[in-house]
Amino acid sequence: MTSVTVTNKEIASKQLGIMLLALIGLLFAGGLAISNLMTAGHAAFNTDNLGLFWGFPIVIYDYFLLTSTGLAMVASMALIFGGEDYRPIIRRALWLALAGLLGGVAVLMMELGHPLRALWAIPFSFAFSSPLYWKVMAVSFYVLSLVILQARMMKPDWQTQDLRINAMVTLALALAVTAIAGVVYGSQSFRPFWASGDIPVAFIFESLLGGLAFIIFFTYLAYAFNPAAVPASVKKLFNDRLTNLLALAIFIHLLFVLARMSSGLYGNAEGLQVWQTLATSRLFFAEIFIGLLLPLVLLVNPRTRIRPWAQILAALLVMNALLIARYEYIIGGQLVPLFKGAWAPPLLNYAPSPTEWLLLLVAIFLSNAVNAFGEMTLRLGREG
Amino acid sequence: MAKWGMVIDLDTCTGCQACTTACAMENNRLPGENWQDVLFYHEGTYPNVKLMWFPRPCMHCENPSCVSVCPTKATYKDPDGGFVLMDYNKCIGCKYCQVACPYGVRFYVDEKAVVQPDIRGVFPSEAGRQWDPPYKGPQDDPSRGIGIQPHGVVSKCTFCYHKVSKAPKGVADLDEDIPELKEYVPACVRVCAPKARFFGDLDQPQSMVNKLIADKRGVRLKDETGNKPQVYYLSGGATASVPSLRSMNDSGQS
Ligand code: SF4
Ligand code: SF4
Ligand code: SF4
Repeated sequence: MTSVTVTNKEIASKQLGIMLLALIGLLFAGGLAISNLMTAGHAAFNTDNLGLFWGFPIVIYDYFLLTSTGLAMVASMALIFGGEDYRPIIRRALWLALAGLLGGVAVLMMELGHPLRALWAIPFSFAFSSPLYWKVMAVSFYVLSLVILQARMMKPDWQTQDLRINAMVTLALALAVTAIAGVVYGSQSFRPFWASGDIPVAFIFESLLGGLAFIIFFTYLAYAFNPAAVPASVKKLFNDRLTNLLALAIFIHLLFVLARMSSGLYGNAEGLQVWQTLATSRLFFAEIFIGLLLPLVLLVNPRTRIRPWAQILAALLVMNALLIARYEYIIGGQLVPLFKGAWAPPLLNYAPSPTEWLLLLVAIFLSNAVNAFGEMTLRLGREG
Repeated sequence: MAKWGMVIDLDTCTGCQACTTACAMENNRLPGENWQDVLFYHEGTYPNVKLMWFPRPCMHCENPSCVSVCPTKATYKDPDGGFVLMDYNKCIGCKYCQVACPYGVRFYVDEKAVVQPDIRGVFPSEAGRQWDPPYKGPQDDPSRGIGIQPHGVVSKCTFCYHKVSKAPKGVADLDEDIPELKEYVPACVRVCAPKARFFGDLDQPQSMVNKLIADKRGVRLKDETGNKPQVYYLSGGATASVPSLRSMNDSGQS
């Protein structure tokens, strides 16, 4: 008993350390990014008017947004269908969903031309034909329902009908946000790299995959990566269920990526030629072999799947693979320039600028600071 | 109500870029960021190479994808005339319209300068606009995307709304050769020396634009997108033709 108490104290001080580090990082990365944006403006990004309009900041935003919805899906499904076993991760997943969303939205605000105007111009436009209008509306209600659900779960008794309804609403909104995010890209019929009716479904699976990987990684982080400090209920949940679910989600995601790649390589619609370059790139190989296949092996191998280090490593690799996948998808769909003739090469060159990388740090530090604050003050591991 | 349209005869177009220059002067475009551009392609491989060119303004689509995706209705289709315009006061700079326009005719105002030195630094604006050139068009209507752009928005060809909308009601063609109409003719049409560009009302069957489209089998760029451009191209095949691809392939062909 004494040793656990000591460990808890140690863990609390580690969370404080994480929060302070994240805040210092945020101050540094955010300050530098803002100063670059104040001096160079949007030219601090490597986007252009030849065809690459949405750059790395949009990749980051969508990555964090879809991770957030994935976490919310995991938490709300656990509340609706999961029973007792899932209790140790529910509050943590919900809080992490809020923290991640905050990081993503902060980056979006630094990317938009008029972020403050967006706050009123979108809701009052009633632009029903725009997927982005619906996305913003869905995100707004999604945040509201996340906050309400989190607040409700501060109270004991998680068996009530009102809580289930709240979880169902959160699940529906998380699914809606994710699916609409898919429609934003999938509806661009003249961009065959993006366009496909199944993109919203692929996005939902990717979100779920992200949600599972993040909850495993951040649960271990909550216990300072000290397996001895992880409660037995959490270990049981991870070993019996979450690792299997994570492996299944990786497999489904792999199927989507490989299906898109093969139709991309064999198709001849303009825009699909990006696959010829992408499928032979180091980034793509890293994503498939290190980011997805290696974790899959770790999670299905009976000797490794219950090892904490393997679970942490698998989750971390998947988190990175998903960022690469989001990058390849969003950037890849824009690499063929739009009617620029000889003014543009057959495929545009794009790599994120230093300011764009700083925005990734902003999102990571901000989310981690918020998450560590929650871990310190809200007892996120409480099981009812 | 008119539905203005443009016809560009590729058989007569010489690729001289006078239209591009006129548009740049009329609308204070930044060097290299041309609302109207002549695109050059080449076809074949050495020694059998043919140079092709293709003038391209905004298509002012009948069913514009840029308008349907805009989350703030900052870009909109004016029912009176069929202009697709920008309201700079509502645009949030999300660039979804740029992503959704199949023709690449939209420009985010704050990207890196295409041509150095960055002329925005040479003529900086005190009034929150993109720049302050020594000559500015007399028209300024941010709600229609006319005048120097503010920061953080997307801009595009206006079909010279500031001229065309003042044309006498009911006129079928805006032809620079008719002295009393020439002030209402879009700048790019008015300067076209070989008279490859025509501007008129697509809703009036007797208009020259309709006659040309019918007689010379006018086609629209990438009609399969469903955007239904109000800009038509005439191409007898003797010289330049409508490109089938939006980019060059690896061997530099269209
Ligand atoms: S060409 Fe592009 S910008 Fe112009 S109206 Fe059509 S979709 Fe909109
Ligand atoms: S950039 Fe402006 S005009 Fe374009 S979709 Fe966004 S808000 Fe609308
Ligand atoms: S119609 Fe006016 S704005 Fe459009 S390309 Fe021609 S000159 Fe430029």
